[in-house]
Amino acid sequence: MKPAKILRIARWELTKNAGGVDRRTLGVVAVAVVLLVAVAPVVAFSGVGLDDELYRVGISEESEFAPVVAEDNTFAVVDDATVQDLESGQIDLYLADTAVHRSDSEKGAAAYEEFRDSVATYNEQQLRQEPNHSAAFPVEVIVAFEEQTGSAVIVGAPDGEEPLPEQDQDDADDGQPADEQQEPSGDEEDEGQPAADEDTDTDEALTEETDEDLPADEADDGDPEAPEPSDGQELEEEDEQTGPLAEFLGPLSEDGLTGSPADITPPFPFQSLVLAFLFVIPLNFVIQAYGSTILSERINRRGELLLVTPVSRTDIIAGKTLPYFVGAMALQAVLAVGAVWLLRGELGGFISVLALTPLVLLFLGSTFLGAMFARSFKELTFVTVTITVSLTSYAFIPAIFSDIDPIALISPLTLVVRDLQNETIALSEFLFSAGPPTLVALVFFTLGAGLYREEDMFDQRSMSGKICDSLVGPITSKWHVGLVTVMLIPFVLVTQLVAVATFFALGELAIVLLFVVVAVTEELAKTFHIYAAYEHNRFERTAKSAVVLGTISGAAFFLIEIAILVFQLIGFTELEIGEALLLFSGVITGPTEVVLLLPPLALHVATAVIGAFGAFRSKRTYIVAVSLAMLVHLVYNLSVVMLFV
Amino acid sequence: MIQLVIAGFSSFLVVGLTALYDPASAGGDELTVGISGETEDQLLAVAMERDDVEPRPYVSEAAAMEAFERGEVDAVVSGRVLADEAETVQLDVVVPAEDLRTTLIVTTLREYLIAVEAAERQERAHELSFTPIELPEETGEGSPYFGFTYTILLPLLLFLPPFISGSIAVDSMTEELERGTLELLRVAPLSLVDVVDGKALGMIAIAPLQALLWIGLLRVNGIGISNSWVLAVTVTAIATLAVVIGLMLALLTRQRRQAQLLYSILVLLLFGLAVALPEHPASTIAKLAIDSATFGTFAHVGFITALAVGSYLFMRRYVTQLNPERL
Repeated sequence: MKPAKILRIARWELTKNAGGVDRRTLGVVAVAVVLLVAVAPVVAFSGVGLDDELYRVGISEESEFAPVVAEDNTFAVVDDATVQDLESGQIDLYLADTAVHRSDSEKGAAAYEEFRDSVATYNEQQLRQEPNHSAAFPVEVIVAFEEQTGSAVIVGAPDGEEPLPEQDQDDADDGQPADEQQEPSGDEEDEGQPAADEDTDTDEALTEETDEDLPADEADDGDPEAPEPSDGQELEEEDEQTGPLAEFLGPLSEDGLTGSPADITPPFPFQSLVLAFLFVIPLNFVIQAYGSTILSERINRRGELLLVTPVSRTDIIAGKTLPYFVGAMALQAVLAVGAVWLLRGELGGFISVLALTPLVLLFLGSTFLGAMFARSFKELTFVTVTITVSLTSYAFIPAIFSDIDPIALISPLTLVVRDLQNETIALSEFLFSAGPPTLVALVFFTLGAGLYREEDMFDQRSMSGKICDSLVGPITSKWHVGLVTVMLIPFVLVTQLVAVATFFALGELAIVLLFVVVAVTEELAKTFHIYAAYEHNRFERTAKSAVVLGTISGAAFFLIEIAILVFQLIGFTELEIGEALLLFSGVITGPTEVVLLLPPLALHVATAVIGAFGAFRSKRTYIVAVSLAMLVHLVYNLSVVMLFV
Repeated sequence: MIQLVIAGFSSFLVVGLTALYDPASAGGDELTVGISGETEDQLLAVAMERDDVEPRPYVSEAAAMEAFERGEVDAVVSGRVLADEAETVQLDVVVPAEDLRTTLIVTTLREYLIAVEAAERQERAHELSFTPIELPEETGEGSPYFGFTYTILLPLLLFLPPFISGSIAVDSMTEELERGTLELLRVAPLSLVDVVDGKALGMIAIAPLQALLWIGLLRVNGIGISNSWVLAVTVTAIATLAVVIGLMLALLTRQRRQAQLLYSILVLLLFGLAVALPEHPASTIAKLAIDSATFGTFAHVGFITALAVGSYLFMRRYVTQLNPERL
């Protein structure tokens, strides 16, 4: 690794024509992006309804619902329709003078529900224009979030996002939002706030909440009673400060909600979805370009020129990756710091950036390997789509369950969510979340680097052949088999963790499914490279060598697995499924009882030997043998669970 | 294969997104609410009429909070009347700080609180100039998935194949150009137009097939899709547009990276700009599928088809005057 050389290759990557994107393209992209940014808010907010005119309604002349239909684009009025048209499917709803009739179909039922909502929205809108605001909205609701475990942890901490204007104006007013949330047991009542104060309080709070939580179009007309001029000024300033993004991210902060009942929007539970889109989508553009650049090196032997220079291939790879890594990290950093600033009004987000690093590495690493495998651009497109889908689900699925600690922490996005919420993150949690993806990314790069040589780069070998090559690359002696096994473990671990996250909601069935995944991934990780090594004639095709290799691989796997399970699966015992995961390795009563560790050791070695036995003959025997090994593994795991649970 | 992965992923997303679309659909359990404070009677009266809220009165808010912390109630609502003119009722609501459960609780509570508000509003009706229109009775029959399926899911499924077709068209053209294999093809008695035609038609033909497959799958799942042939035509037209954009970019830039980057951004942009049309293509698809198509909808299909044919002819003209030697 020589920094100077890496930097030079990185510079070439950015400037030379074959690699970089030329100015004309950049110009078009810039214009397109600007336009896109300009169009996006229109698409998002103007209610360019996808459901415009989705349902057809007939309406009687005197119907009280006429203004509702006029306001809502979802309903298209069919002229001169009568009740009879409901049956023929000409219309879905018929609005009589005071009653609503619907057609007897699924569509009619859906239209009816939709119409109920429309009526409610219409009422709400009309009431907002009432001069007597407090009669129109006689109920004010203040929602506070409290941990139910007894400890009064505040979620909507005083985080500087919403400095309510009256705080500094009115010292007598103790009702700071934070206090209210901390002690909802009616402190204000005791202190007897002047009622007038409270009134302004809520009005302003209402305005703010409306601005933040509702789509822009509703927010605009949602404020008939403007607050006093001075306050209004401050409110406006604050609007500028939080910006339009706050509408998306607002709920992330989980502040208390205030307003009339209809204003209460449930906190957005899938914060990770927003984050996934925010942080993960840009990565897809980066890997597109990155994948192209790697693959174009392999077309027409272009990469040959670099390969013959006195630069090591790690330097080449590092140099070619560096611009994309730096670019992606810069983008993520801007997004993270921006998000923190928008949410909390302060600089921060360092931990978020740190947590996003493994994700960026994972995207780049898998794309690199994919580009080394792919034979053509078409294949590369499929590879990138697969990477996008699988990595997005990896980042997204676990983060949905953000209230179940160990599951949520599988995804590094959870760390970002927590950092944005200003929660503290323990070092162990960070390692648990960020460790495996980093290791997997490193494995990807290592395997890919194994292929970055003349024989493989310019060869039209099939994908599976390339995969074999990449695995065999590092194997030169029998002990290296164990090393490759160790190298594959992070991959196994991540797959299993994602399986845990996907299945855990299924209850009993989940454990069985999980064991299937465990058996399949672990057996493949233990013996596939042995098979590949035999195919490359690295070892003599004898039963003896199969036993030796199987033992080495199985033992190596066992050692690392125990180490990982003991040190890494911190909180997993809380969950039934996590317990099962620990159980099959035999650590149920703790690692002190060495006797209990022997069966899993025997299992891993035995199944690896079974697999290796098939591997030294042919592809077909390998498939049979590895399936058998998986079956043994599965039966063992299930019986252990039966015995101990 | 990839399609399968995407299908699996999108069906997962559907459940997730639908829950997001209407969190109430994931819940349905009765909520136990601790009620206290001055307006206890009104709160109880409204709660009694609802079957999604089970009220539990407490003497004081402190007592209710204790029950909350013990987990006996899901939420606490305590009310008091403010001393302002309109005697506004202030409700302090405490809900658990969890993720999914909080959303479900708040969603149910919101309905309840709106009912409370309606009751309070009724008492002040004489001060209002506008009489709220009474809500039609709740039937609970309409599926919250219904609109979603047609307006989001189906357009998503039908737009995806054309986009991927265009992307593959970019790949296959730039690959020929970058590898120089176009030379080989030209040895055969084929003009450049023939080559481009072949690539384009193959990619375009795949899209409606996939679309019809999706429609068939949805039908098997009991989701009726009307006008499936019109939908297929629409998808073909959109695929044609995407493929033309892809091939043109490939011919103009001659490099995959440039072409792909421009392709994905331009297609996104076009999709956004389609808002300017009286009816967004996604909306067209939804209306066709749900059988609410109007004259305008069919006019749109005609327009998109004409646009597709026009752009294809334009591309052919461009290719004809290209000098293959210089590619």
